[in-house]
Order: sequence, then structure tokens, then C-alpha cells
Amino acid sequence: MTLSGFDWVVALPKGRMMADAYRIFERAGYPLPAAAGERELWHAGEGVAVLELRGGDVPTYVDLGIADVGVAGRDVLLEAGRDLYEPVDLGFGACRLSLIRRPDDEAPVRRVASKYPRFTQAWLRSRGLVADVVKLSGNVELAVLTGLADAVVDVVQTGSTIRAAGLVEVEVLARSSARLVVNRSALKLKRAVLWPLIERLREAARTPSG
Amino acid sequence: MERDAREEARNVIPEGTRYYLPPEAQARLQLTQRWRELFAAWGYAPVELPALEVYDPEHPLAERAFKLVDKSGRVLALRSEFTTALVRMVRTQPQLPGPQRLQYAGRLWLRDSEVGLGRLREFAQAGVEVFGASSPRIDAELLALAAEALRVAGLEGARLEVGLPSFVADLLDATGLEPEPLQRLHAAIDRKNTPELAEWIERYGVRGALADALLALPDLFGGPDVLEAARKHAISERARMDLDWLEEVLALLPAGLEPLFDLGMARAYDYYSGLHFRAYTPDFGLPLLGGGRYDGAGVPFAAGFALGLERVLEAAGLPAAAPVPDALALDAATARALRAQGLAVELAWTDDLDELRAYARRRGIPRIAGPESEVAP
Repeated sequence: MTLSGFDWVVALPKGRMMADAYRIFERAGYPLPAAAGERELWHAGEGVAVLELRGGDVPTYVDLGIADVGVAGRDVLLEAGRDLYEPVDLGFGACRLSLIRRPDDEAPVRRVASKYPRFTQAWLRSRGLVADVVKLSGNVELAVLTGLADAVVDVVQTGSTIRAAGLVEVEVLARSSARLVVNRSALKLKRAVLWPLIERLREAARTPSG
Repeated sequence: MERDAREEARNVIPEGTRYYLPPEAQARLQLTQRWRELFAAWGYAPVELPALEVYDPEHPLAERAFKLVDKSGRVLALRSEFTTALVRMVRTQPQLPGPQRLQYAGRLWLRDSEVGLGRLREFAQAGVEVFGASSPRIDAELLALAAEALRVAGLEGARLEVGLPSFVADLLDATGLEPEPLQRLHAAIDRKNTPELAEWIERYGVRGALADALLALPDLFGGPDVLEAARKHAISERARMDLDWLEEVLALLPAGLEPLFDLGMARAYDYYSGLHFRAYTPDFGLPLLGGGRYDGAGVPFAAGFALGLERVLEAAGLPAAAPVPDALALDAATARALRAQGLAVELAWTDDLDELRAYARRRGIPRIAGPESEVAP
């Protein structure tokens, strides 16, 4: 398979952001080809190829120039720490990265569980705190409930999951929404294709769909 | 079982390092040699620098360098970058009037480099520096030489991109903000994150023409029309002078060299005193070279660039096959005679002609030569 025949290649995250991403590209005047089948890993359209990836892999594909542009949550970008252009806040997928603890727990944080170990480590350092960071892959709240960790850094959307678990959101560490990311050299060499795309997406992001 | 594990551990090489086998090692050697000859033809004299340096917390890459401790307890660092090392060397030498053109090639080490395509922890660079003089002519010479270095590497499609970090610095300085807000503005400009930049500008109360100029920076990239647009935002005398300098440089470039521009490119804006440049090639995501002018960073006048050997070779495409000698000689005298004609010659290790023929066929060696005559391969 070769991607060099396409004008541009876009990496999209599987899951709940996928549909929103398709919608905003459509509204911006760049309808993306739909997947023909469940198992299709990538699909080709008029001049554009779409790669369907795990969210966390989008920054990698864009940084290394396999995809020219991608859609990723700011939470994912903070964790990936890749050197990318981030020209558009697409608006959807709003959430926050928060510190979550038991309601009565005010003891110093000693062990933090998170799906975002790198971000958590950086935040601890910026506060001058020393704590172990445990990387988990899901159901992170369980770590606090079971005593695996005394705090959790995780994505919060409405906060209902946390409340249901009897935990509290102690502090918002970062706010997140979906971003358009662009490879550094692709933006320069494919300016004629990518710059109009960025401008139209900015326009589409400013005027929310009805 | 335990023996196997020990054996395996012995064969491991550190993450981010690698072996270079014949076809690739040959290509690395040839390209380095081509660059060295090119630089020499432009008057750049070679220097060699120690790979071991005394650790200095002020070094720009201090955090990322490998450190070791010598027998006296002094902390050393493995060379992580050439420019700083060259500046230090030049400072110890008597300063002669006029420009001093130097070239280098060698390995560098970084502890935390993201391992991946063209990003190793041990990697090689070649480059040049001009010390002791500062003028648009020197900047133009460096751009022309960088373009030539990409051409001899076979990257005809590569484009140079020129930025003006000093222009960004002029605008950021004009805000009069503290270092932390400045860093936020800078990070947003660097990622071309205009929405976030707008938020910070509003929060920090930057207004009027200066706010407009900062907001325009991320979008000031593309062809030469970018410079005209930048003129409108050159709100200080210094910013205007920086643009004048860049335009003088452009007027001095050889015909056919048309760089791209990005005036929002401001990675080390407090380090570069003038222009900064990089090079890109289609279908390869990482810059191939980087350089610029850094007057006042250790020495009064300095400018140069460095090419990433691994990246350039990766972008240029690696040779598929190992080099093949021109002939297999049956005795030493024949080998000497053929080598004197400039051929690459392997010496036979046995008298068994059948074995030699089979070997020559397998390697694709076109000739087997003896003292009396050629032997049919």
C-alpha cells in the first residue's frame, strides 16, 4: 500500500470522536470517504486517504509524516508530547483532565493511577510533588476505590461517573477538546492543499451545526 | 535456559543505537565524504572535537545529554550538539580578523530522543559554521551551500524554509510581559495554535497593532508574498531592520534557489539573532537540516547549519545491495596491478577455482583475474 498518490492523508481516531470528525470535515466542504466495511483499515477517496487509528496513535502517525493531518483530543496530545502543529480547535469532544480522590481524603498524594502517566508525571513535577504513577488502561476510578492508588488523573466529561462512584473531582488539571493536528513539514510542502482546509475547518468550528 | 538468557543479554545493543551493515554503512561513508569535499571546495576547513565534554548545566541540551562520571568525580557529558562545542573551541583560540569557515562531521548522543524514524539516541551530523563576521552575504552563502548539500545527497525535490526568529522576538519583547506569559504565547505561536494564542493575548491584555501582529504570526508562511504581509506588522524599528536584512539575503541567493518562508517559526527565538532555516522533502515528515545566525551566543558573530545524516539517507532512499568489488584476483601481484588501475579488488583465499567461481557468481563479481590471463567467471 502506498499513500504517496494521495493529495493528503488524514488520521482519525476510532470511537466516539470519529462521527464528529466526519461531520466537521463534511461541513467544511471536505467530505471524507466512508468505510466500506467493518474491517477496513483505511479508505481512499478523491485525492484523500483516511486512516482509522486508535486515538493515541494519531499523534505518532502525524508526527512521523505518514498522515499529513489528524484529529486528536488535547488530552491525547498532552500525553503524547509530539511536536505537531495544532492550528484548529474543532470544538467537539470537550472534556477535562482532573485529579480525582475520595471525598474525605486530604492526605498528601503518594500514588496516582492514570491512563495518562506522562501527563501525570509532568503535572506532579510542576507542583513539586513526589508520588508514584501507575499506568492503567481503563476503569481507573477503581484504583482509588480499591486502594491501589490514593488519587487518579482521568478524563471527566460530565462528572456523573465520578459522583456515581462516590468520588470527587478535586482539581481540573487541563481542559481538552478535539484538535486538528498537522505534520510540520507537510504544512509547508502541501500548503496549497492544507491551508484552505485549515481555514475552512476554523470557519466550521466557529459556526456550530444546528 | 539461563545460558540462553545470558547469551541474549550479551547481544543486545542499547535502545536508540544500531548497527550499520555494508550497503548502508557504505552509503553513510560516501555521503559524508561528498559533503566534506563540498564544504572544502567552498573554503571550509575541517575540525575535530572531543565526544566527551565537561558537563555544563547551562548547555542548551544539558538535560537531554548522556552524563558520566570520570575518576576524579567530575561529571562529563557526551557531545549532544556541535554548534555549542564549536563556539567553545573558537573562544579558546586567538581571534583572527575576518571570517573563519569551519566544517565538522561526527556522532552525537541524546539520552531521551524519541526513538523512531530518523530519531536515534546515537546519530550523526555534518555541518559548517562561519565565525567572526556577520553579513547578509554570509547568510546567503550558507543557504546556497545548504541547498547544494541536499543536491549532492540526491534530494532534488527538497525545499529550504527560512524563518526570522529575531522578528518574533522583537514582537514578543514589545509586549513587555513576564517570562511565563511570554513562554505561553511562544508555545502557541510555535504550534500555530491561533485559537489558543488569541485567548492568551486577550487574557494578558495585549492590544492594538501588537496584538494583530502576534495573531498574524502563525499564518505568515508560504511564498515570498509572506514578507510583504510581514512588513505591515513590523511595528518596531528593530523588526523592520530584521526584515531588511532578510530581503538583502534573498537578493543574493543564486538563481533557482527559492526558499519557502515561515515567519512564525520560532523554536529557539531567544537563541537565533537573525534568520533560521530548515529543509523539507516531500513524503518525509522530519526536517533534514537546521541552521541560522546566532550572533552573541558565546561569540560575537556566528552562523551555520547541520545536516542529519540518518534523516537525509532515509529520505533519499537506501541502496539495496552491498558494494561489489570489480574483480577477484588469484594472486597479490595481479591484485596490485588492478588496484593501480583504480579497481576495487578482492584477493582469492584458495586455489580451488570452482569454489572461487561459485563465490564470484554469488556475489556478482564480474571478473576473476590471474597472473597470466583472465579466468572465465
